[in-house]
Amino acid sequence: MSSGEGSSQSSSKKSRQPKYSRFTQQELPACKPILTPGLVVTTFILVGVIFIPIGLLSLSASERVVEIVDRYDEDCIPSDQEKTAFIQSDKTNKTCVRSLTVPKKMQHPVYIYYQLDNFYQNHRRYVKSRSDKQLRNPENEDLTSPCEPEARVDNKPIVPCGLVAWSLFNDTYGFSVGGMNLSVNKKDIAWDSDKNYKFGSKVYPKNFQQGSLIGGGKLDEKIPLSEQEDLLVWMRTAALPSFRKLYGRIEQDLEANEMITVVIQNNYNAYAFGGKKKLVLSTTTWIGGKNSFLGLGYITIGGLCLFIATTFIVMYLIKPRPYGDPSYLSWNRNPPGN
Amino acid sequence: MTVKPMPSPNSREILCQPQNMMCLHFSQRGYLNRRVANLYFLMISILSCTPVSPVSPITNVLPLSLVLLVSLIKEAWEDWKRFQNDMAINNTPVDVLLDQKWISVPWKKLQVGDIIRVKQDGFFPADLLFLASPNPDGVCYTETANLDGETNLKIRKALEKTWDYLTPERVSEFKGEVQCEQPNNSLYTFTGNLIIQNQTLPLSPNQILLRGCSLRNTEFIVGAVIFTGHETKVMMNAMKIPSKRSTLEKKLDKLILTLFCVLFCMCLLGAVGSGIFINRKYYYLQFSKNSDAQSNPDNRFAVAALTMFTLITLYSPIIPISLYVSVEMIKFIQSTQFINNDLHMYHFESNTPALARTSNLNEELGQVEYIFSDKTGTLTRNLMEFFKCSIGGEIYGTGISEIEIGTAQRNGMKVEVQKSSDATHEKGFNFDDARLMRGAWRNEPNPDLCKEFFRCLAICHTVLPEGEDSPEKIRYQAASPDEAALVTAAKNFGFFFFKRTPTTIYVHESHVERMGKVEDVPYEILNVLEFNSTRKRQSVVCRYSNGRLVLYCKGADTVIYERLADRDNELKRTSREHLEEFGAAGLRTLCLAYRDLSSEVYESWNEKYIQAKSSLRDREKKLDEVAELIEKELVLIGCTAIEDKLQEGVPTCIETLSKAGIKIWVLTGDKMETAINIAYACKLINNSMKQFIISSETDAVREVEDRGDQVELARFMKENVKNELKRCYEEALQYLRTGSETKLALVIDGKCLMYALDPSLRVMLLNLSLNCNAVVCCRVSPLQKAQVTSLVKKGAKRITLSIGDGANDVSMIQAAHVGVGISGQEGMQAVMASDFAIAQFRFLTDLLLVHGRWSYLRICKVVTYFFYKNLMFTLTQFWFTFHTGFSGQRFYDDWFQSLYNVIFTALPVIVLGIFEKDVSASLSKKYPELYKEGIRNTFFKWRVIAIWAFFAIYQSLVFYHFVTASSITGMNKAGKMFGLWDVSTMAFTCVVVTVNLRLLMMSNTITRWHHVTVGGSILAWFIFVFIYSGIVLPKDQENIYFVIYVLMSTIYFYLTLLLVPIAALFCDFIYQGAQRWFFPYDYQIVQEIHRHEPDASKVGLLEIGNQLTPDEARRYAIMQLPGEKSKHTGFAFDSPGYESFFASQAGVFVPQKAWDVARRASMKSRPKTSRKN
Repeated sequence: MSSGEGSSQSSSKKSRQPKYSRFTQQELPACKPILTPGLVVTTFILVGVIFIPIGLLSLSASERVVEIVDRYDEDCIPSDQEKTAFIQSDKTNKTCVRSLTVPKKMQHPVYIYYQLDNFYQNHRRYVKSRSDKQLRNPENEDLTSPCEPEARVDNKPIVPCGLVAWSLFNDTYGFSVGGMNLSVNKKDIAWDSDKNYKFGSKVYPKNFQQGSLIGGGKLDEKIPLSEQEDLLVWMRTAALPSFRKLYGRIEQDLEANEMITVVIQNNYNAYAFGGKKKLVLSTTTWIGGKNSFLGLGYITIGGLCLFIATTFIVMYLIKPRPYGDPSYLSWNRNPPGN
Repeated sequence: MTVKPMPSPNSREILCQPQNMMCLHFSQRGYLNRRVANLYFLMISILSCTPVSPVSPITNVLPLSLVLLVSLIKEAWEDWKRFQNDMAINNTPVDVLLDQKWISVPWKKLQVGDIIRVKQDGFFPADLLFLASPNPDGVCYTETANLDGETNLKIRKALEKTWDYLTPERVSEFKGEVQCEQPNNSLYTFTGNLIIQNQTLPLSPNQILLRGCSLRNTEFIVGAVIFTGHETKVMMNAMKIPSKRSTLEKKLDKLILTLFCVLFCMCLLGAVGSGIFINRKYYYLQFSKNSDAQSNPDNRFAVAALTMFTLITLYSPIIPISLYVSVEMIKFIQSTQFINNDLHMYHFESNTPALARTSNLNEELGQVEYIFSDKTGTLTRNLMEFFKCSIGGEIYGTGISEIEIGTAQRNGMKVEVQKSSDATHEKGFNFDDARLMRGAWRNEPNPDLCKEFFRCLAICHTVLPEGEDSPEKIRYQAASPDEAALVTAAKNFGFFFFKRTPTTIYVHESHVERMGKVEDVPYEILNVLEFNSTRKRQSVVCRYSNGRLVLYCKGADTVIYERLADRDNELKRTSREHLEEFGAAGLRTLCLAYRDLSSEVYESWNEKYIQAKSSLRDREKKLDEVAELIEKELVLIGCTAIEDKLQEGVPTCIETLSKAGIKIWVLTGDKMETAINIAYACKLINNSMKQFIISSETDAVREVEDRGDQVELARFMKENVKNELKRCYEEALQYLRTGSETKLALVIDGKCLMYALDPSLRVMLLNLSLNCNAVVCCRVSPLQKAQVTSLVKKGAKRITLSIGDGANDVSMIQAAHVGVGISGQEGMQAVMASDFAIAQFRFLTDLLLVHGRWSYLRICKVVTYFFYKNLMFTLTQFWFTFHTGFSGQRFYDDWFQSLYNVIFTALPVIVLGIFEKDVSASLSKKYPELYKEGIRNTFFKWRVIAIWAFFAIYQSLVFYHFVTASSITGMNKAGKMFGLWDVSTMAFTCVVVTVNLRLLMMSNTITRWHHVTVGGSILAWFIFVFIYSGIVLPKDQENIYFVIYVLMSTIYFYLTLLLVPIAALFCDFIYQGAQRWFFPYDYQIVQEIHRHEPDASKVGLLEIGNQLTPDEARRYAIMQLPGEKSKHTGFAFDSPGYESFFASQAGVFVPQKAWDVARRASMKSRPKTSRKN
């Protein structure tokens, strides 16, 4: 296109032949993978061969985990009373005793989890109701704006503020075997990064649970937040409405068929919204807790790959297609005019 | 000096605001699109600033701005360049008359009514009224290359009254008033009056110097400014930029619309869910009537409505933001880097590379099903050579045309072409007959007629001689190559035209009185009755030095025969036979005639002529009418035949294209015989084809025609055409039903077409022609060309391409989906109207089969990939919504979400769009049938989109459920648990890896750029997340703080990262494998056939074009001759200006095409010599 008013003079002499370059001539070296039947089958077999062992390993690791799950919310409440009223009352005795049988030997450490169902820790209103700045630094005590509606009480900032902290889980468990108390180690249940970076060692709870509504557990105002590991665990909000959280560890082996007596302080109100509460005792392996999903996933995908590979081979035997046969070109298959 | 536009009496003062006239506004492309897109993004941005937003505004706005910034920078850069150009132009100095002196002022200071002086080779800064020049007769020469690309000089002539306003002293005495038309874009028309000394003088384009032209061969001129700045005719033209959008893009709009619907449905579902979910029983969420509207359980409707907005913001990535920008970028590179630089499409002889004037239509080139081609200059070379002639009933010229050779070969005859070595052969002259050369014609039976023949050739034309006066060195500036060829022929016959003044033509005549005698003879030119498409003829009235008054006329056979005196019927008959013979040989013919005039007849006619010439209204029409009065009772001299050779490679190209499933229609102004012969020669039609011929040249039609009743004729013609169409259509169906292999061809002429295009017959014409493999329309007007094109475009909904070289093709080029202009040898009009310009017809193969096909493939892949990655990403988010109480909680961190499109998946898809190719260029041409995949739109069907959508849904389910289901128990040996952000970061990592790997899976070609960008994108994600989770940000919630380190400390992370992408791609892989194996696409078979061949197709390409055969060398040398790039006006039959003529006849409004008007009117600007008033 001619541009500018003086372009006409210069245009005639110079050669306008484009310069050669591999880029402009679209001749960049390239590999052109073709999904040949061989390649497809090989890939499937390869994936199958790699995946199945990994799956088996993971599965066996997960199978070695011994896990006891006990749902106690129904049984820990007198059946003749209105559940919500019972749990909200200060006067009722909420102690509840459960006994669990160890199915297999559980090597220490045995991890104690509580599991809540139908609890939307991932609700938008819930997730955003916290102030990470306030949690880290005592100077940011007043930064409670995101914490609505649990930001302030009597116009004093709540530390830690927000719905997440306010609804802190406060059931407690005590364990004994054959009359002998098992000590529960509650140290090191939160991720180190939470302890060291997200929650300040100089931030102390203030005005917590002082409002008219009490949402859950209270905090010792003398202990800095970074040491309140229950809070740290609770505040790492869960992804799904059904979640487990680490409560503590029993640093002692539990033998098979032993009876464990659990004394539960059933304080937390999961009855209002129809949630379930479960106590979980579990050992771990390198893969973590008892979850066969990964192992089964690997085995399924690996198995499917092998199956598909076989199918492809069979189908190829039944209906072979000569490779690169010009007669398969559409214009050769359907000669024009037909 | 005042200037007044006629309707409004005020004089105006307008600053000159020059701007580049032909710059292509890339910003115009997809402008509407972008506006809709921008509106959407604006809406999302506003939403994200409100409390309903689940993401923080900055994260949403920043990437959007980034996308917009990219396009803004591009536009700003273009504007900057334009601005600099403007500045340079605005500040060019020009001499203005101030206080009796010439003062130099910058252009921008010019005002209407200023008197200025422009020196030689200077550009005119505004539209000027030409007052005076130092040349005798007050003429000056201008070059209009900037306006229409024509390099030949145009003469402008000042009014006699103003000739002596040359010196500043004189000029300052000049007082006058100009009444003129309103500023308009018609480059070569101007109506106005100059009022000086109480006299009103009519102004014509002849006195107007247009801005953008430059002054040549004239020392200086003095002129008055009439229009400045944006009111100049050039600028009025520059506003119009034809904008076309590709079919694929239109379908893309539909896809986006579908996505909007999907988005709406998803949001509605979520909103209803949230309204149902909200309940006071979730005490830990503290829903109460005191909380904000979105958490107020008493008003569920408000909750749902607000959640709707939350979800729209949350799901907004489903509409791919960066799609339009990416596609635009890809297309821009495709056109500027690939098409413009393709050495295969570089024409060495004319030094012309291909040019994509728009990058909008690249992929449209891959879907073309119908090509409408002009003949002259497109299929043929438009190097006109005087080849044969017939004088007084005798044929001269021994050559055999290429088409005759072709015809003979079809009939199984061998033709020996022997060329006598002494045959004169120069550009425009390829004639050999000893009976005429070197004065031998004096011994022929009709020496007097011969003399008239040669004089007619030498006198009756509008050619300008240039250069030295010797026969060897002179160059002719002609409006059309035909004209130059005729004058060259006269030169070779001994009638050498060497000098033209406004009133006289000088001819150097040899052998006239006796052999060897040479003399210079002046002929006074009294009137020139110009050529135009209605008249189809051109006449000159001249006075011999002995006082003889003659009118010489040349024109189309039909118009000349109508005006012949009623005698010499034998001569007429034989000449007609000769004309048909020439026509059959594919030659272009013209008839020559003369008329002796008595001075009384002439004088009385001339008065009328002068009257017509000075009339202000309908001047052209009146001139035509007056011309009619004198162009009668002509005496036939003979006829000329000019050969126009086929372009190189045309038959092969046409064969290849028709193999590719493209149907080629030839639309030409030529005669039926010529057209059919050309069609044979370029292998469009062959003897095995069944030909349907619908012609108006039948005896029955002639009979009715002779009766002279126009109404009767129209009725008869319509009936006739209808019957013919019906007969042909039924016959065609017969052929189709029997399933025979016979291919069909339709030949129809312009007159019949006029009736066939009638709404009642149109459908039948369309049905018939769509069943034909080749269609030839002859004797069609430019408007009909456009009508036929839109008939197929709108009627059959197929993608059409028009290719042409002349102004008469402009309407057709603009009517088609894709317009291609032939550049390099012709005028610029077609190129200016086109979307792509190539130098040779045969380059269509590369343009369509290689670039078009690849572009189509690439854009399809890019679009579907964008669709997939955004849908899949949004769906993972959607599944999460169900588990959050429909609260609109985001699954991914807001930065992940917004950078997903902009950084983590942006570049690989662009690389795909640039480098993807299924088979190499040479294979694309070797297997033209592959092109059919584009015609059928194989890669962008709803079915294809549905398949992608299926995989997007499958993958999103895998991502969401695999990652969440596997993370519900203790995640490491220490039994610690993951939170929401750990899980989502895990999922996001899988998504980024998978989406990038999926791109590799869909690539047929993997260059190192693929590796770099795919690897880079994944790496970019990790680098980003390492930094992002390692630093403290000034945010309320630092959700991602340390998350990646926590994740990577578990074995779970690595196990999942291996499992999930493979599980997600598993289905895609099965599909790809099975599809290729059991239902292979054609390109896949071709890949397989040639899998072992290295892609060395273009080795040694550099040498192409440098090794010329002697023939090519000659042609090249001819092309290099300066000043010979004359313009094709379609002298004989192939004429510009038809369009508006036919349109006005039919009462149809046709917008004035700038270049069309330019073309038509440019003829008026050639030397015009009227008698002095």
